[in-house]
Amino acid sequence: MSTNGVPEVLKSKGISAETVKALSSFKDEPGWLTERRLEAWRSFEALPMPTIRDEAWRYTDISDVRIEDFLPYAPSPDVSREADLPDAVQRLIAEGEENSALLVQHNSETAFSRVDEELSRKGIVFTDLHTALAEHEDLVREKLFGLVPGDYDKFAALSAAAFSGGSFLYVPRGVDVELPIQSYRWLDVVGSIMPRTLVVIEEGASVTYIDEYASADGEDPAFSNGAVELYVGEGANLRYVSLQNWERNVLHFNTIRSRTEKDATINSLVVSFGSQLSRTNVEAGLSASGGDSEMLGLYFADQNQVLDHHTLQDHIAPNAHSDLLYKGALRDESIAVFSGLIRVEPGAQKTDAYQTNRNLILGTDDAFAVSLPNLEIMADDVKCSHGSTTGQVDETELFYLMSRGIPRREAEKLVVFGFFGEITSRIPLKGLKDKLDRAIEGKIGLGFEERVA
Amino acid sequence: MLKIENLQVEIDGQEIVKGLDLEVGKGEIHAIMGPNGSGKSTLANVLMGHPRYEVTGGSVTFQGEDVFELEPDERAKLGMFLAFQYPSEVPGVSVANFLRTAVNSVREEELSPMEMYRLIQEKMSIMQMDPKFAERYLNEGFSGGEKKRNEILQMLMLEPKLAIMDETDSGLDIDALQVVAKGVNELRGPEFSAVIITHYQRILRYIEPDHVHVMLDGRIVTSGGKELALELEDKGYEWVRQEFGAGTQS
Repeated sequence: MSTNGVPEVLKSKGISAETVKALSSFKDEPGWLTERRLEAWRSFEALPMPTIRDEAWRYTDISDVRIEDFLPYAPSPDVSREADLPDAVQRLIAEGEENSALLVQHNSETAFSRVDEELSRKGIVFTDLHTALAEHEDLVREKLFGLVPGDYDKFAALSAAAFSGGSFLYVPRGVDVELPIQSYRWLDVVGSIMPRTLVVIEEGASVTYIDEYASADGEDPAFSNGAVELYVGEGANLRYVSLQNWERNVLHFNTIRSRTEKDATINSLVVSFGSQLSRTNVEAGLSASGGDSEMLGLYFADQNQVLDHHTLQDHIAPNAHSDLLYKGALRDESIAVFSGLIRVEPGAQKTDAYQTNRNLILGTDDAFAVSLPNLEIMADDVKCSHGSTTGQVDETELFYLMSRGIPRREAEKLVVFGFFGEITSRIPLKGLKDKLDRAIEGKIGLGFEERVA
Repeated sequence: MLKIENLQVEIDGQEIVKGLDLEVGKGEIHAIMGPNGSGKSTLANVLMGHPRYEVTGGSVTFQGEDVFELEPDERAKLGMFLAFQYPSEVPGVSVANFLRTAVNSVREEELSPMEMYRLIQEKMSIMQMDPKFAERYLNEGFSGGEKKRNEILQMLMLEPKLAIMDETDSGLDIDALQVVAKGVNELRGPEFSAVIITHYQRILRYIEPDHVHVMLDGRIVTSGGKELALELEDKGYEWVRQEFGAGTQS
């Protein structure tokens, strides 16, 4: 892609039906997709903007968010070699996990992608969504919007109407991809990015896929609005990671939904470090027996950040297992919201479902953690439990560590790393773990006592 | 090396230590014995800088430095060590990681990972601890005996000049007690002093003290040599109360 040919209507602020049509035609899309986009656009227009009077948005105030202020589309330079990508992106790649395929979305467009030959030989497809539509239209048509439909909610509707770039990963039956596959979403303009991830893992296949979000420092607000659809076939394994590390000018909205077939396993990890305000819905649909969903979440809020996670463990079929653990640290005047639901549908007997949320408040009385674990059980032979704790770092614990010569700052760091260790020790990805450790260390900064006035 | 003068300590507004004097010289082992509630553990914790206690009077110097001007980590760097009666559990932090951080914090120069590994292995074998122990999270799910051994392991790793042992013997069976005593005797020498706080004289059979003090109601009421411990064992704390209790003082 290049800046040439971008329709004028995409270069002016705000989004309308005209924008959606122009985008679809610019991408040379088939008629059915234009129609789906417009349908989603109509849902977007019909749905009211959520307010704090809505239960699901009670603690996350988005009254300042003005979608009409953002440019709907921002092109990016086309790059033929990894070495020509922006330095910051190259750094992200170098510090990230070793990978077998890579895609970089720069603003609204795909700047670069690479797939190891061996993967192509095995029939793995990894491209942006536009390329996928051109080359695998039937598959995309069958799956796109299947899990995050255009009327899911206000933001998902907008994402369906105006998505661009995105990633499509297809792993054929029985193929085991050893090294992770990685997408980067890089934003360096004041505008919006609406990436969409569609992952289709066929029977018995296995893969690790990572979406990572990062941006250049900016003053004016930018807007990221994504949707992630994860289909895990019978007996297949998907490890999915979402690492959100935007700069503070970005508002982040994302809905991640998965569906597991019989005996399929999904391990998800959702990390939220960046953005001014971040709202992520993570939903696992256990739609066949023997399904297994591990859902890990890690967040660290500072300054006046608002990090909001809504999760759903949707037990539709019997004999499925889900285990959720979300842990977050808060400092300064930040807000973190966790709202989780285990729903056991009628007939989903022998469900085994767990949900835990823990928050650690660091040296402040001004941070605010909301934790709302919920159960909704409509079957009678199930094992379910939920729990939640929110607490300060224990002074006695710090004293114990300090009495061994460890300065307060180091002691606090040990406690925080220990707290997150329960999550990070469950992730078998070295590069990612190091990245998380560095980000956590950066968040702890000079020690939380010192920062609080 | 440690000098306590007229120390007074409060917790939640209640006076626990009521004017205590004690001097511990280089290479000396002191035992402080006393019944429950006499203020022994408060003394131990306040020497190390526990945030819950408030010093309302008196002074403590260690190696000539005013201890109350120092943070707990600075006290440790000067060579003070407290073996806790109830060590904290720190989830997610392995014993090995903790020991590494602690040892490198008190030393002038950091040890290489290989040197550190050898040091941990060596000290763990003295304490008859399984090497796998190092990978466990600090004190999490440890038995009482494991916690106490772990305290002494830390002491061996940090090689303090003064160890304060807060009821390290309580709750230990005789085998564990011997291992703990072995750890302490390992460090014993002209450069190592200790204050052993205990309810029973049992541990003093394995770690022989140079001086024994009896603490009652926030003060040291009598001092003597190691024979005082035996006398206490014979006569019990009731005798101490009658001899030195509040009633006899007024």
